[in-house]
Amino acid sequence: MTETVERIEVDSAADAADPPLDQLVRRAKSGNRAAFSALIADHYDMIHRVAWKWCGDGHEAEDVAQEVCVKLATAISGFDGRAAFSSWVYRIVINTVRDRQRSAVRRKALAVAHLELAETEDAAGQEEALAAQELWQAVRQLPAKQRDAVLLIYAEEKTHAEAATILGIKEATVSWHVHEARKALRRLI
Amino acid sequence: MSNKDELEKLNRLKAPMPSKAARAAAMTAAMEAFDAAEAEKTTTSTQGFALGNRLKAIFDLERIFKMDIRVPITAAAAGLLLMPLAMQLNSTTGLVPPADINLPFSTTEPAIVDLEDDAAIETRTQAKSEMTAAQDGDSAETAPSPVPEPVMEAEMAEEQFSDLAASAEAPAAPAPTTQILSRKLQAVTGAQNSAIVSGDEAAFAPLRDRIAVPEMPAGDRFEAFSDQTQVSVADQPLSTFSVDVDTASYAYVRRALETGVLPPRDAVRVEEMINYFDYNYPAPESAETPFSITTGVFPTPWNANTRLMHIGISGYTPPQLADQPANLVFLIDTSGSMNDADKLPLLKRSFALLLDQLRPEDTVSIVTYAGSAGVVLEPTEVSDRRTILDAITTLQPGGSTAGAAGIETAYRLAARNFDEDGVNRVILATDGDFNVGISDPETLKSFIEDKRDDGISLSVLGFGQGNLNDALMQALAQNGNGNAYYIDSYREARKVLAEDVAGTLVTIAKDVKIQVEFNPATVSSYRQIGYESRALRAEDFNNDRVDAGDIGSGHTVTALYEFVPAGMSDGLIDPSRYSEAEPVASPEPGEEYAYIKLRYKLPDGDVSRLVEQPVTVGSVFDATAMAGNDQRFAAAVAALGQKLRGSTAVDGISYADIAALAEGALGVDAHGYRAEFLDLVGLARTISGEGVCAHSGVDVDCR
Repeated sequence: MTETVERIEVDSAADAADPPLDQLVRRAKSGNRAAFSALIADHYDMIHRVAWKWCGDGHEAEDVAQEVCVKLATAISGFDGRAAFSSWVYRIVINTVRDRQRSAVRRKALAVAHLELAETEDAAGQEEALAAQELWQAVRQLPAKQRDAVLLIYAEEKTHAEAATILGIKEATVSWHVHEARKALRRLI
Repeated sequence: MSNKDELEKLNRLKAPMPSKAARAAAMTAAMEAFDAAEAEKTTTSTQGFALGNRLKAIFDLERIFKMDIRVPITAAAAGLLLMPLAMQLNSTTGLVPPADINLPFSTTEPAIVDLEDDAAIETRTQAKSEMTAAQDGDSAETAPSPVPEPVMEAEMAEEQFSDLAASAEAPAAPAPTTQILSRKLQAVTGAQNSAIVSGDEAAFAPLRDRIAVPEMPAGDRFEAFSDQTQVSVADQPLSTFSVDVDTASYAYVRRALETGVLPPRDAVRVEEMINYFDYNYPAPESAETPFSITTGVFPTPWNANTRLMHIGISGYTPPQLADQPANLVFLIDTSGSMNDADKLPLLKRSFALLLDQLRPEDTVSIVTYAGSAGVVLEPTEVSDRRTILDAITTLQPGGSTAGAAGIETAYRLAARNFDEDGVNRVILATDGDFNVGISDPETLKSFIEDKRDDGISLSVLGFGQGNLNDALMQALAQNGNGNAYYIDSYREARKVLAEDVAGTLVTIAKDVKIQVEFNPATVSSYRQIGYESRALRAEDFNNDRVDAGDIGSGHTVTALYEFVPAGMSDGLIDPSRYSEAEPVASPEPGEEYAYIKLRYKLPDGDVSRLVEQPVTVGSVFDATAMAGNDQRFAAAVAALGQKLRGSTAVDGISYADIAALAEGALGVDAHGYRAEFLDLVGLARTISGEGVCAHSGVDVDCR
């Protein structure tokens, strides 16, 4: 417990360059419970945010986030540190979303999605939000790889290199997926 | 418009903040998985871990707060997370049967366990829509837990992170269904606070106690307590207690029953159920004797060998007190979890009801904490209704900012606007998040006590379920000389805000204690019904420094005793061979059953005053049916409450009998509360399986 507290006093930042994060990951990896707890606490918002952007549904995002947290618990010991921790987390989130969406049951949750968005925007931004939302709905209908690439680069504002790391593909492949996505979107919108 | 511009719009997508509950549940699930993974590494048995953890998981408030208190304010966002996390760490386990996972309340009655397949739950549970939705989606989705397919297909091969992907994917398979689902169940079960049953009691305990069905985590926390026991008058002629006009327990019980489950037994405080109802006891005529005590003795509906002694107290409201100005500061929890329709939105909707009850010159202020912090409304006169309603409308749950100094801000506002001649009160509205700025419960209590001594009281309005901290709610309100309410519906909000808060606002007497002295010549033993948490020591009665409950204008207080008249036996306690009945200080021994003393202080007084009255044989009714409506109705409520607590004392009465008793005692019932009680008895009957005769082999009478 003391260690949890200790950690929380350190300003939490999900930045891979932050030495305490490395330390935390290392300790969590070796089975330190408090370190893992702090790690999840630090990353939960990010996990949830990504899950939400990918699913567009609050409940689903929470479920995905929880599943990811559970996965991290067992996966952490196998984390080899070759990629940044956050990239690794991104990847787990995206894979989790993909797994879950293979199940057709999820489809019905989509209808709820746009209601939620409208509420969070102020009146002035509504118009724009609506447009963005239409686009976003379209993006979500893209094949998973194209969607992942597009959302990472445009919604999460990652560079092509970062997206490549997260998705575990080459940079050129990312660009190609984005290119394909553009073509597909042109047809959809 | 080019595609590039179009895609750029995607960065405008702003994900909403996750709910605290989801976050906490995810944390818990993660930690469990982590522990399980660690246990797997070190030992071969993971089962032992789960069991051991559960056994140790005696929930301890202090631990949570101790943990919390070490979190610096700068990391308050993390602190917000830690509290629910700590609750969960102690609670959620893989032992929870998935079929029951959506039930918000514990069920221990074996008769229902049989029925408790999904279909039965579906039909009987009027669960909130979100729960139902969650159930539809999640159970269907997560239960099969499909083995993940290889991801990234061909690209994986050419990738330097193939091992990374494998490590991330492999663990997906064992992702436990219950952990995902357990997000819906927050925090700690009543089982971990479960009542201590002594050996003897356990032997006689009804089925409910004997069956080892684990109680399920329900999230709401209740202080555990045992029923009052039968006491021999020769040993202990005095029974002393503090009045209690809280009604939170009744509302909670109602919600449980309406959901289709029996409430956790520690959620049932019989005296609060009894005192939920309005009784028409004759009001005192003048300020000279500001309390009227109405008594009645009649045969106990559930035991032919005993009598029930009913004590009804009604207070006098001096005209000048009725005109007291009110200075109310609402301290409102705006954490994300308050977003549910039955929480903040309900408070918003019902706020106007309260304003209707206040006078134009009364003032209302609003301070928020947890979600967004700060003063939302400076003290504003009720005449400026628009401003107040606008302010309450703007409240939005959510956000991650911790409201560190919420409670201090609220009290500061109350103090700044202090009205020496009026009621100065902070009203805390929450669903269980007491992260008001002072995290240690003891510090919080003494802070509230201090402020109480400065003339500012505290009431607590509890909302929603799943996270409700009933024990702390009660403790705070008691320390703050205020009341604790549980608001589960608009109907209840109306009762509490419009009818009760207006009444409670004007305290007509404080530190009201009652002492009943039984006459050994006429009574051999007695048992007080309810008031377990309000019991005082005999010597506290005359000690003015001992705090007790307050009575507001328009309130009545009802207490019941079940006693065994001298010469009769209920078979529980043999008559003493040696002690002779000592004569009591009464003019005509033998003609009194008991002597009632009531002590109270005037709202601004420090010295208590005494009101006394004997219970004479003159107030005896030979048959239950001859007692008044109020008396019979109170007896019916007491019977239901005790049954729900699993008390063997009421084995002699069935739910059907209780319903009949109450039905004959409805009286005027202007608000329909008593009729509603009838419905609850019906629900309890169905849920308990009475009439189904499922209690085979046990001494429960199946009618």
